[in-house]
Amino acid sequence: MRFDTIIIGGGLAGLVCGIKLQKAGQKCAIISAGQSAMHFSSGAFDLLGRLPDGTEVKEPLKAISSLPAEHPYSIIGAEKVAEYAAQAKGFFADCGVKVTGDASRNSWRITPTGERKPSWLTIGDFTPLAAKEEKIGNKALIVNILGYLDFNTKFLADSFEKQGTECRIVALKLEEMERLRKNPSEMRSTNIARVMDREGIWETAVSQIRTLLKDEDVIVLPAVFGLKDGSVVEKISETLGKKTIFVATMPPSVPGIRTQMTLKAEFEKAGGRFFLGDTVIESKADENGIIKSISTVNFNDIRMEADNFVLATGSFFSKGLIATPEKVCEPVFGIDLTYREGRENWFNTNFWEKQNYISFGAKVDETLNASIAGKKIVNLYAIGSVIGGTNSLYEGCGGGTAIVTALAAADRILEKK
Amino acid sequence: MVSAARDNEFDVIIVGGGITGAGTARDCALRGLKVLLIERHDLATGATGRNHGLLHSGARYAVTDRESAEECIKENMILRKIARHCVEETEGLFLTLPEDDLGYQAKFVESCLAAGINAEIIDPKEALRMEPSANPDIIGAVKVPDGAVDPFRLTSANVIDAKLHGAKVLVYNEVTNLIKEGDTVKGVEVYDHITKQTANYYAPITVNAGGIWGQHIAELAGVKINMFPAKGALLIFGHRVNNVVLNRCRKPANADILVPGDTICLIGTTSSRIPFEECDNMFVTPDEVDVLLQEGEKLAPSLASTRILRAYAGVRPLVATDDDPSGRNISRGIVLLDHETRDGVKGFISITGGKLMTYRLMAEWAADLVCRKLNVQQSCITMSTPLPGSEKENIDEISHKTWAKPGTTHKATVGRHGARAVNIGLNDEYDASLVCECEEVSVGEVKYAINELDVHNLVDLRRRTRVGMGTCQGELCACRAAGMLADAHKCTDRAKDDLKNFVNERWKGMYPICWGDTLRESEYSQWIYSGVCGLEGGKCETNKAE
Amino acid sequence: MKMQEKNISANNFEQCIKCTVCTVYCPVVPVNPLYPGPKQAGPDGERLRLKKGLFFDNTLKYCLNCKRCEVACPSGVRIGDIIQSARIKYNTDSPKLRDMILANTDFMGTVVTKVAPVANFALGLKPTKVVMDAVLKVDKHRTFPKYTTKTFESWYKKNVKAFQDSFKRHVSYFHGCYVNYNYPQLGKDLVSVMNALGYGVHLLENEKCCGTALIANCMIDKAKKNAEHNIASIRKSVYERQMPVIGASSSCNFTIRDEYPHLLGVDNSDVRDHIELCTRFIYRLIDEGKVKLVFKKDYKAKIAYHTPCHMERLGWGIFSTELIRMIPGVDLTILDSNCCGIAGTYGFKKENYEVSQAIGKPLFEQIERLKPDFVACDCETCKWQIEMSTSKEVKNPISILAEALDLVATSEANK
Repeated sequence: MRFDTIIIGGGLAGLVCGIKLQKAGQKCAIISAGQSAMHFSSGAFDLLGRLPDGTEVKEPLKAISSLPAEHPYSIIGAEKVAEYAAQAKGFFADCGVKVTGDASRNSWRITPTGERKPSWLTIGDFTPLAAKEEKIGNKALIVNILGYLDFNTKFLADSFEKQGTECRIVALKLEEMERLRKNPSEMRSTNIARVMDREGIWETAVSQIRTLLKDEDVIVLPAVFGLKDGSVVEKISETLGKKTIFVATMPPSVPGIRTQMTLKAEFEKAGGRFFLGDTVIESKADENGIIKSISTVNFNDIRMEADNFVLATGSFFSKGLIATPEKVCEPVFGIDLTYREGRENWFNTNFWEKQNYISFGAKVDETLNASIAGKKIVNLYAIGSVIGGTNSLYEGCGGGTAIVTALAAADRILEKK
Repeated sequence: MVSAARDNEFDVIIVGGGITGAGTARDCALRGLKVLLIERHDLATGATGRNHGLLHSGARYAVTDRESAEECIKENMILRKIARHCVEETEGLFLTLPEDDLGYQAKFVESCLAAGINAEIIDPKEALRMEPSANPDIIGAVKVPDGAVDPFRLTSANVIDAKLHGAKVLVYNEVTNLIKEGDTVKGVEVYDHITKQTANYYAPITVNAGGIWGQHIAELAGVKINMFPAKGALLIFGHRVNNVVLNRCRKPANADILVPGDTICLIGTTSSRIPFEECDNMFVTPDEVDVLLQEGEKLAPSLASTRILRAYAGVRPLVATDDDPSGRNISRGIVLLDHETRDGVKGFISITGGKLMTYRLMAEWAADLVCRKLNVQQSCITMSTPLPGSEKENIDEISHKTWAKPGTTHKATVGRHGARAVNIGLNDEYDASLVCECEEVSVGEVKYAINELDVHNLVDLRRRTRVGMGTCQGELCACRAAGMLADAHKCTDRAKDDLKNFVNERWKGMYPICWGDTLRESEYSQWIYSGVCGLEGGKCETNKAE
Repeated sequence: MKMQEKNISANNFEQCIKCTVCTVYCPVVPVNPLYPGPKQAGPDGERLRLKKGLFFDNTLKYCLNCKRCEVACPSGVRIGDIIQSARIKYNTDSPKLRDMILANTDFMGTVVTKVAPVANFALGLKPTKVVMDAVLKVDKHRTFPKYTTKTFESWYKKNVKAFQDSFKRHVSYFHGCYVNYNYPQLGKDLVSVMNALGYGVHLLENEKCCGTALIANCMIDKAKKNAEHNIASIRKSVYERQMPVIGASSSCNFTIRDEYPHLLGVDNSDVRDHIELCTRFIYRLIDEGKVKLVFKKDYKAKIAYHTPCHMERLGWGIFSTELIRMIPGVDLTILDSNCCGIAGTYGFKKENYEVSQAIGKPLFEQIERLKPDFVACDCETCKWQIEMSTSKEVKNPISILAEALDLVATSEANK
């Protein structure tokens, strides 16, 4: 089976790259071994929240020049990063994913435990805050769904109260939800969302909230609405007629999954082929190291051929990188990595400190090409969190790295033609 | 004033909430004494919770230490009766590998029989049928009555019974000084880490059951006990590879016991002498991990490819008698010190040495001495009185008696709390919903633990219920449980700090083996806690209330 | 140290990171609160069951075995296999008469086809349905697929067997019970398409029911016997007659390839790569330039393709849809990935009827919204369910090919 480009990995980076290529007229395939980390989304994409030395970043685009040379942003170049960052918002809008935010200045998102984290593009469900200390209102009604354990109302109330917002916590009891509650483990965000998405249910929830409302000027809800159709989120805010803030829950993430589904549908609508639940097992290259084809578990002897291959397999969680007691490696092509040898160098003994292993990953050059045994592979690109050189969690740049490198790699591929 | 004064007056004060202290408190309480049990951290935080959880048949000591072996087999048989919900009767095998001397087997069996341990040589093929995970190359096998015992559950059950018999239990209370009048210890001065207050408690007898840390308590009394801190590292695997205890049939050495314990199995140990100061902060080195894996694989080859959950280390509380650097040839024997006769300090005794297996006997000896000193004529009944929860029925019977349609959660709950699980609400949807999905711990069980079992933080909760002890090591459950603790303790800041401490405590066991799926799990935890939740800067210190 | 290079556990259950993704894609959880969900029933419960079998929970029977959890899992955990293995290992309930009737598809087929007209009449009668509903607990809304008066095998032997040897290349055909007893036309379509492509079609020496329904109803001994028997026949075909084996049912294919080794412990490693769906087989021939398809000029159809759950797991939907896309005049829509709810015999059981229909609802609604001429699908039980629950007919892609191909011109092109 022949494609122009085969992308390995169906997460944020893979989808963004695939959509851009497919819409530009390429025939693309995305192979994804299971669902992606979008399922645990925080509800926002970050561009840069902190420099490696810990300095807080307010204006990400300006701060890029202060990043070390091995950072993917530095490799792409500050100007290019700005260009792609500027494209991103329109890109998502075209895909039907509503995002707000600005690359020139970080906004803040409220986390499930009530912390504030810098963010760049926030998924439409959420209300980004302009300042870290922004007070959400004078009086807040925090609404949970009865029996839902992954929305920590106490932690949220506590954090709002520290900024002078008086909080009251209530729980909705919905008859339709009681059936789900019989299951001791499945009161999860997505299952709640499935019930809420049924006709008339969110309306019942809203009218219940209205009866519970006293003199609060802001309502805080868990992001458990609109698994398939995000428009319900807006409708809820409208119907409530009060400032309504949705807060991300513990996994799974309803807005994250919806975003993933929307992007996948967009890719397929443009003619792309998405292979879920398949794993690449080996690749064949010619004498110049050009990758010619790959084979997968499901395709087996039917080889998948392409002019370009994009590695968007993510880091350890999604097995884009594999760690054994002795070494870290990239399992599909065996590309060169930046990482520190000796497993005692992979971690910090304090969980809350910077963990080195998170910055491990593919070595790429300015065209985002990967290399094998020191030799650049001109038709193999690495994008997203499989790339090394940045502690994306500490620096708050995982979303940005995925989006920017995906758009950049797509451009490189299109330029080549 | 008299009654107020009585609030801090006891017949006996026991220092140390490990299994020895808990057992002694129970024994004394059962004999009608007014007991105070004091622990500076949580129950079972020291050596008690940091060992194999092996219900020794005594076979391991039969050749080298006949006395310990005899104590073990006697206590083994007693625990099977009195601590049913803490014990699993798995049987044990002593395997001879091609590299081992098969000649040792005869001597081993002979010593076992002499100590009263029913050791039976069986065909290696039969051994493999009993335990298919055992190394298929074995050339010899001996069956012994080993089993598994859950030290947390055992300690908790002893404390519950002590309390049921009027004992007062203070956790997170640290003995800062002993109150002495002349050469007599009159009581203890205690700092409460939670209320941040100091208090004095008085009793004619104070029992030092501080384990390795008992050396310090003794110093407060002006007496010297030379403890011998020997570190032993262990690895916990993600699931049960074996259902029968596997031992190497050779002189005790590194990594020669593989014990199934609850949902996991564990291999250990190493042995190395450490400076006393390290007792409070031990970590497992890469070399120890490698040794455990290399040797463990010889017992059960599949360990080489089984996911490891955690690595941890404990300190053997041995009383130094010589300078053996390995610590293995020292007797595991019980050491009961009457400091009046030994050092001329009255009202103060130490019970130390021994091991988890012989805790009840240690408690009996200590309580006997306490009673003698108090002129109380009550004899010990712990050898025949079941611990709370260990009544006769098994898991299935209790579950079916208690609930109409018991599911996995119900049975898991009974597995952890025995017959006392009937006190745990699981009937309404909220109480039945799961906090910890890996180990099937419900909201009801967490509530019960918070209300009844002296739980002050998430780590305590883990010891009582297994919250966070499963595959994910606290990914979702920790946050859920933290919410419940915030409710119970009406303090969100404390709960959040507690959550950070808990995650860090879990990490401490993971980083020594941080590759493969453990690294994947850690990365996921990082995404959730550092990324999605944006939590930062937890404290490294664990086990402490502050 | 080579140790710990790879962590291995039965069905990869320990590779579970507890990320909860599987719970998002389980079709049962949202409609049946009694089912513990794939994470609990699968890797979580497995650790407890390994400790003691008494932790087995009978509610695992609500699992559809659709394997959607496995497709979604980022860690490669065979969640569905864990659940089914646990049922096989620990289930103590003996199968009910109803389950035996539903599961023994080939026995029932053999008996009923002999009296097909009477049986079809009787099974369609309201009183029969009421009795079956009340006594056997087969839901009264269900209609048994009609039995044929003449099995596929007897048609084959009488009409086409004789000239199959005249082709240059050959395949064996695992037709399955459905084709044999209920719907021989699908088998006839397959023979005509393969013949047109220059392939002789042969029956296996002795085909037994693949066992999908037996496994689902925990009749493991029988399933294992069938599996061993089928693998022996397939082995003969592959190694003695040099004929790969093809089929048109995604579930039969999936069971033979994956459930045999994973659930029944029947080793098929030497033949597994030689058993596949006919659409994949044909796609490969086209991909390698070995055959040519010549289509009718006037074929027009608006088709909605439903990917059966087991097809999702096989990852082979692409081959069926790419073949359909090759037909000029076809307007193809791939339906959203949803389970139809029937899951073989599951939906036939009275206690599952409501759940089954609730699971399929989004699919049915999408089909009605789209208004295709018909639905394409590689699974016979999905076909029953969709035909019962929507206004649309369901066709196997191979039947669509048979309709759309100019068979004469195609055979000329492949001579």
